[in-house]
Amino acid sequence: MYDADYIAVDSLTVRAGEAVLVQDLSLRVNAGEIVALVGESGSGKTLTARSFLGLVRARPGVVAGHVTVAVGTELVRPHECTDDGDREAAFDRIRGRLVGYLPQDALGWLDPLWTIGRQVDEVVALASRGSSDRSVPGQQGAFHWLRLAGFSRPERIVSLYPHELSGGMAQRACIALALARGSRFLLADEPTTGLDPTVQQGILRQVLALKKRNIGILFITHDLRVVHRVADEVIVLKDGQVVDRFAGSSLGDARHPVTTRLLKATVRISGGPL
Amino acid sequence: MSRRPESVFLGAIPPALVLCAWGVSVLTDYDVVADVDPSRAGLGPSPALPFGTDHMGRDVFWRTVTASEAFVGPALVACAVALAIAVPLGALAGYSGGTTARAVRYLFDVVASVPRFVLVLLACMIYGSDPLVLATAAGASYAPGLGQAVYARLEALRGAEFVLAARAHGLSDARILGRHLLWVNCRRLVGRHLLYLFGFFLILETTLSYIGGFGIEEPQPSWGNMLAFEFGQHGMNPLATLVPAAAIWLTVLGTVIVADALAEPGDV
Repeated sequence: MYDADYIAVDSLTVRAGEAVLVQDLSLRVNAGEIVALVGESGSGKTLTARSFLGLVRARPGVVAGHVTVAVGTELVRPHECTDDGDREAAFDRIRGRLVGYLPQDALGWLDPLWTIGRQVDEVVALASRGSSDRSVPGQQGAFHWLRLAGFSRPERIVSLYPHELSGGMAQRACIALALARGSRFLLADEPTTGLDPTVQQGILRQVLALKKRNIGILFITHDLRVVHRVADEVIVLKDGQVVDRFAGSSLGDARHPVTTRLLKATVRISGGPL
Repeated sequence: MSRRPESVFLGAIPPALVLCAWGVSVLTDYDVVADVDPSRAGLGPSPALPFGTDHMGRDVFWRTVTASEAFVGPALVACAVALAIAVPLGALAGYSGGTTARAVRYLFDVVASVPRFVLVLLACMIYGSDPLVLATAAGASYAPGLGQAVYARLEALRGAEFVLAARAHGLSDARILGRHLLWVNCRRLVGRHLLYLFGFFLILETTLSYIGGFGIEEPQPSWGNMLAFEFGQHGMNPLATLVPAAAIWLTVLGTVIVADALAEPGDV
């Protein structure tokens, strides 16, 4: 048993040819904590999040660094595996099971030809596989996870196809999918982008509710308006490099030029028309 | 292409009748030799002989029913062969991409460069015109078309967000490929191609039997050799040629109508 559950990445570097997309990035998210990764488009936020799950498919040497996932008695370090098969197996232990992923494009993230109920059931069934212990969180039915994701009447949602959902409903369905195997951490990749302010509020409330359930969240956004309301720590990225780090509550004291620029842009938008 | 349900229903009737005829034929023991009776040659339709007799006095109805054995079984074998070759190779190429995809597509292109009919004739000349050889050769000759279609579908879906999502949820590659991509997204495509192959095999078998030398030989009936045998027999029962000709035409038409009904938006 470790002191606390956490996920961390050390010295992550991602290259594409000569270009360095993410450089020497380290961060750690503890259980029940929200770490915000903030930056402009193309600053390497999504690459960082997807590296936790080994979803950046690349030739050897292109992705360097170490991912660590420690939950309960499990400690998974995929990059310590020299064999490709072993590394994939290590990532398989993480994907969905220990760490869930919440995408920006929620509608695209859902299989267009399956109902929501069937999709959640499939992921729940993965959690049940090989274990008869009913106390494993993933073994609760699709309704439980849809309710946890904010659907007060999940029976209404299970028979719907993705094209029948609104953006906010799709995002909630993705929250249910990300947690349905009982994962203790969530990588939320711009979950509020493209949603109207009311729906954004709802998703943010949901994220905070998950935090209260001791789920650790890496919250990726380019919108500083949302950060100070949810984040314990803010990491600012620029061209794949960490340029600023500060506590979420001290956003107003941020002095780094990149942070100030992001903040100014946000204030202008929230302050009224440009 | 979308079709109205009633036309699909009508289209499904001939292939369904053919399958029934095949079942009846397999279960009954119509003797093709004992049925020869020159004394009743060229009779018209009657309650006992619904389609009359041919110029050797054989029952055209029973010969038409029995002739289904000449192609239904082998056509199903051809479909199984095409399925077994094309779907795994097309899926492998479409899902993995890169060098594997290039190698598989090259193989498909090489096979597809030989016209199907020529490829089947070549196989029959080398291995004999046994129905199993015919079926295997037809299935193999059709495999590139089906394989390319599966490849194209998977190539388009491989990078889709929901596929990445399935990996992020921890689903195995085998499950993503088998369930989400092949079963959910390709089953209609594969079904459509197999129906086309069924129609193609019927034309192939009846053509070879009509020409003679390959395919089904007299006295075993095939709709092709029934046509060839009766054609030009003056003063004989016209139904002896019209029935097998109509059977070929309606079965192929019906099969294509049902196959087209499986087409999805954007299919060509």
